[in-house]
Amino acid sequence: MNNIVLLPVLIPFLVGVILILFRNQLPIQRFVSGVTTLGLVGISAYITYLIYQDGIITLELGNWPAPFGIVLVGDLFASIMVVFASIVAAACLFFAFQTLHPDREKYYFYPFFFFLLTGVNGSFLTGDIFNLFVFFEVMLISSFVLIVMGGTKYQLRESFKYVVISTFGSMFFVIAVALLYSVTGTLNYAHLAERVAEAAQQGQSGILTVIAILFLIVFGLKGALVPLHFWLPNAYFGPPTAIAALLGGLLTKVGVYSIMRTHTLIFTHNQDFTLTIILILAGLTMFFGVIGAVSKFDFKRILAIHIVSQVGYMIMGLGIGTTMAIAGSIYIITHNMIVKTALFLFCGATEKVTGTTNLKKMSGLLKTHPYLGWLFFVAAISLAGIPPLSGFFSKFALVLGGLEAERYFIVFVSLVVGLLTLFSMVKIFMYVFWGSPSLSPEEVKKTKVGKLLIPGIPLVIISILMGILAEPVYLLFEAAANQMLDPSIYINSVIKE
Amino acid sequence: MKTNYLMLHTITRVVSFIILSFSIFLFFAGHNNPGGGFIGGLMTASALLLLYVSFDIKKIRKVIPFNYPVIIAVGLLITIITGLNSLLFGDPFLTQYFEYYNVPILGEIELTTALPFDLGIYLVVVAIALLIILTIAEDDS
Amino acid sequence: MLQTVTTIVLIMMSISIFICFIRVVKGPTMSDRVVALDTIGINLIGFIGILMIIQKTVAYSEVILVIAIIAFIGSIAFAKFIEGGVVLDRDRR
Repeated sequence: MNNIVLLPVLIPFLVGVILILFRNQLPIQRFVSGVTTLGLVGISAYITYLIYQDGIITLELGNWPAPFGIVLVGDLFASIMVVFASIVAAACLFFAFQTLHPDREKYYFYPFFFFLLTGVNGSFLTGDIFNLFVFFEVMLISSFVLIVMGGTKYQLRESFKYVVISTFGSMFFVIAVALLYSVTGTLNYAHLAERVAEAAQQGQSGILTVIAILFLIVFGLKGALVPLHFWLPNAYFGPPTAIAALLGGLLTKVGVYSIMRTHTLIFTHNQDFTLTIILILAGLTMFFGVIGAVSKFDFKRILAIHIVSQVGYMIMGLGIGTTMAIAGSIYIITHNMIVKTALFLFCGATEKVTGTTNLKKMSGLLKTHPYLGWLFFVAAISLAGIPPLSGFFSKFALVLGGLEAERYFIVFVSLVVGLLTLFSMVKIFMYVFWGSPSLSPEEVKKTKVGKLLIPGIPLVIISILMGILAEPVYLLFEAAANQMLDPSIYINSVIKE
Repeated sequence: MKTNYLMLHTITRVVSFIILSFSIFLFFAGHNNPGGGFIGGLMTASALLLLYVSFDIKKIRKVIPFNYPVIIAVGLLITIITGLNSLLFGDPFLTQYFEYYNVPILGEIELTTALPFDLGIYLVVVAIALLIILTIAEDDS
Repeated sequence: MLQTVTTIVLIMMSISIFICFIRVVKGPTMSDRVVALDTIGINLIGFIGILMIIQKTVAYSEVILVIAIIAFIGSIAFAKFIEGGVVLDRDRR
């Protein structure tokens, strides 16, 4: 009866459908989509508040009771993710208003933007693993359209690879779901959690571990864990910055969210093995991601590869598996969504000013565009983890959690990677903003950058607030982590007996 | 040599109506038997495709002057609004209702909210199938 | 009695479909392939009819109609392709 938990899925879908009808009226499209995204931020924040007050909200779609019908489940983790996804989407949308070419806008940009949001929010809120697959497909098909939109030669080549790899991943997803169904006979998360625990006691632990790893591969492909990350940098380099920021901010996080959801709720039978594998993958992902970023000399490419490195941090907390580490994981996912999007938006603004993303072709922007420079600086050191910004506290929680659980090596790797992250961010800052100005005064007058910064400013402010108000924010995330680590809360709120 | 399509045209004029009526049968059979919006939509699409194959695109576009993306949007809207309907009664999204009515000529019939839902799916399937085929066909040459 | 006959018929139809399939793959000309594909469609229809006899049901009758319609449209499209080189004309004069 709690239809409110449906709204973050339903509203983008409805608005996306309506916007198809207004294909050629760009002012209507812009106005409606702007209002909708801002409204979504408000609604999702309200839902989070409700869940924080009263516990998990469930909705049985079509009034079919829980293990048989599809349920939507809003727990604290899911609703926090929905809030941040809405914020990221709103920022990217307002950036797209100013930078996207009208032809691209007319070619159904806004409907597919909202379908992507439907898929993302649905993946966060669903309580059924096959429904997760459906929302993944909604999200992926929209992302195919957004990535290929514009149809330059580079985009077509890279997005073809992306489509093939994603389809391959979806195939594995169906196989894994089928295997899981054949072993347990159910698809509902809560029911699965019960049945998996029973089946593991009856000696089926081996096949369940195989299925767990299969799901890890599937979600790792979407979330860009290291042996499966190769598609990401090129695919995100092609499309315009507004779209790259949207995809970089949202898509990989859905993969990470699914890994965390399945491995805290369902596959808890053999955690020694699965969590160790996750920890190894986390270390590899962090390290190789940041090495790739250090070696590149292109603004957008560095940011795209950095996504991979940050994914490592996110699942590192899951691999450690204590309350503090998982709270740190949630902290770093939210922090990363905000900051990475902000960096992409500033990258887009820089591209608009200089006409290139090659680091060696620009310099001295700090003198001509000081606001852009300092906003980028704040976001960059936040990503690298300098106090008192959000990056510091998220990594602090992770490192502390790792030390408490005596996982010293992964903590060491994460600290080294933090240093290299700082190095690559400083490299961008030095090349782009230091030195003598590369633009002539006439060129500076021609390019007005003030309006382009407006979508990025709230993101930077949120990042600063998440650092200054670390105590209440951390307590919220700790509550979410506690909810995740005790599956019985989730199970009891879905299956009421 | 000029090809003559007389036989094809004659057959198409009869057969496409048979297929269309079969698709309507499938659409209404869908509630408790095999059938439904999806397969009914596919059958309608194949009937229209037969028209496109035996006549040419320009002529059929004059006969069926619909913009397919708009039909997709309308179909999706019908589907969503059917689901939203249940919110008015305070039930979860997508709850379905049914009721039996006595109609003068047809006798007792069953009216369900699943029917408009299926109608939306029907429109979406028809429009998407034809849109894909026509886009590919117009792409070459 | 009926059981044995239908089983034998099913096996023979499977072989027939397989032979048609060989013709589809190998077929020296396009026309051979099209005729073989059409024959596969008709064989499938018969196959399902016999399954209906075995299982004593009429539930699959719609399936037969659907396959027949799709095979029919497919044959017409192929025939047009062989004759004119295009399936959908943009504007015929």
